[in-house]
Amino acid sequence: MSKLIHLLATLIIFSISFNLHAGASDEVKTSSDDFETTIFEDEIYDPLEGINRAVFGFNNVADKVILEPAAKGYRKLPNPVQSGIGNFIKNLKLPLVAVNQLLQGQGKNAAESTGRFLLNSTIGVFGLIDVADDFGLEQKEEDFGQTLATWGIGDGFYVVLPLFGPSNVRDTTGMIMTMMTDPVNAYATNQGEAWLIPLRTAANAVDQRSKIIDEVNALRDNSVDYYAAVRSSYYQNRKAAIMNTDDDILTPLPLISIEFE
Amino acid sequence: MQFVRTLTILLLFLLPINAKANEAKNWLKIEIDKIIYAYQNQDLPNENRFLMIEQTINNNFAGSGIAKFVAGKSWSESSKETKLEYIKLFKRHLALNIASMMQGYSNQKYQLIHSNYDEKNKVTMIDMEIFSETGSIQVTWRVKKSKERFFVIDLLVADISLVVTKRSEFNSMLKTVDYNLQKLNEKLAAQNEISYNKIIN
Repeated sequence: MSKLIHLLATLIIFSISFNLHAGASDEVKTSSDDFETTIFEDEIYDPLEGINRAVFGFNNVADKVILEPAAKGYRKLPNPVQSGIGNFIKNLKLPLVAVNQLLQGQGKNAAESTGRFLLNSTIGVFGLIDVADDFGLEQKEEDFGQTLATWGIGDGFYVVLPLFGPSNVRDTTGMIMTMMTDPVNAYATNQGEAWLIPLRTAANAVDQRSKIIDEVNALRDNSVDYYAAVRSSYYQNRKAAIMNTDDDILTPLPLISIEFE
Repeated sequence: MQFVRTLTILLLFLLPINAKANEAKNWLKIEIDKIIYAYQNQDLPNENRFLMIEQTINNNFAGSGIAKFVAGKSWSESSKETKLEYIKLFKRHLALNIASMMQGYSNQKYQLIHSNYDEKNKVTMIDMEIFSETGSIQVTWRVKKSKERFFVIDLLVADISLVVTKRSEFNSMLKTVDYNLQKLNEKLAAQNEISYNKIIN
């Protein structure tokens, strides 16, 4: 056990120190002659683009063959069943959400997430019903990737993980930390029910995918470079999640010239 | 007394801003309803439906400005003819993208929940919530007024900007053709053809 902890600690320290260096390299590259309208970021550090595109191609096929049909089937379930499954999955994430909120210094949010977890796990029948929402306790998402970002650790380079999809070095580290510290996963393993972990991951993927079927298909069907579109979307989405700011303020405003419309 | 005076000044300052935001919001509602009407009208053949939507989008989006922005540095290095061809192709590309996205929302209820005028950039941000049976999604429209007309300059779905994504996507494609806009036009025309066939079938 101590060997495992030692290995984990080494891995985390390595990843963090690597990310501190990577943080400098993912700075946005812009120059005044890049564009005539405004200073804008559109360069994402992607040194493994060739490999990433190959993995992305594989994921895209897996999505079309497995995930999308599963998500479409899931959408045919009665709405209360879909909501119940979605609520149950979200509720299981809350202990780690609260931990990450604490690590980010968000004491109030951590207390609210804990309250949500307690209310939904009891009155909400093991998290199937989101009763906490009626008490004004909003669902908020925080993960280790966001926590590391809040601590000043840079994105690192962009990476597409097999089956898990777009990520970067920091968020991948965060994902590994989540897997290793998740109390629900730990409990399942201790009970000899480790098979529940991939099932939970798959259910989460289907639930999430079912919510964005139209958006993903619109992007896939209409992109001149689908890989680049997904990469950009991922970075924008993560930036918004990390900043916890209103999107109007957060997303840079492209100063579009409308004089010649 | 001092408080009342401060409040009055504040209100006098804020009211015109609020009026500008509401004016844009009312305009947007009419234009969104036109698109939704086109989707909900079952008598329309698919080709006509798309043409109707394309016309609404072309009339209301700052298509040329967005096209120029998305082209980045390749814009200034291109001939006038190439630019004109690119703008035409890009406008259709934009219409296909938005029509494809709105298609999924056509049977859902929506509400324009909040609008805010950014005095510094002269842009109105209008938040729209689209409701489905299992949740909702937030869309933000960025609208700018020019010569007494409103134009949509960007559309954000769940924090993801359409214009930023398109710029990143086109920049990646332009890199592979040495930032040659004419070569991009060829690829864009081919992509438009594929997207158009998908949307009308």
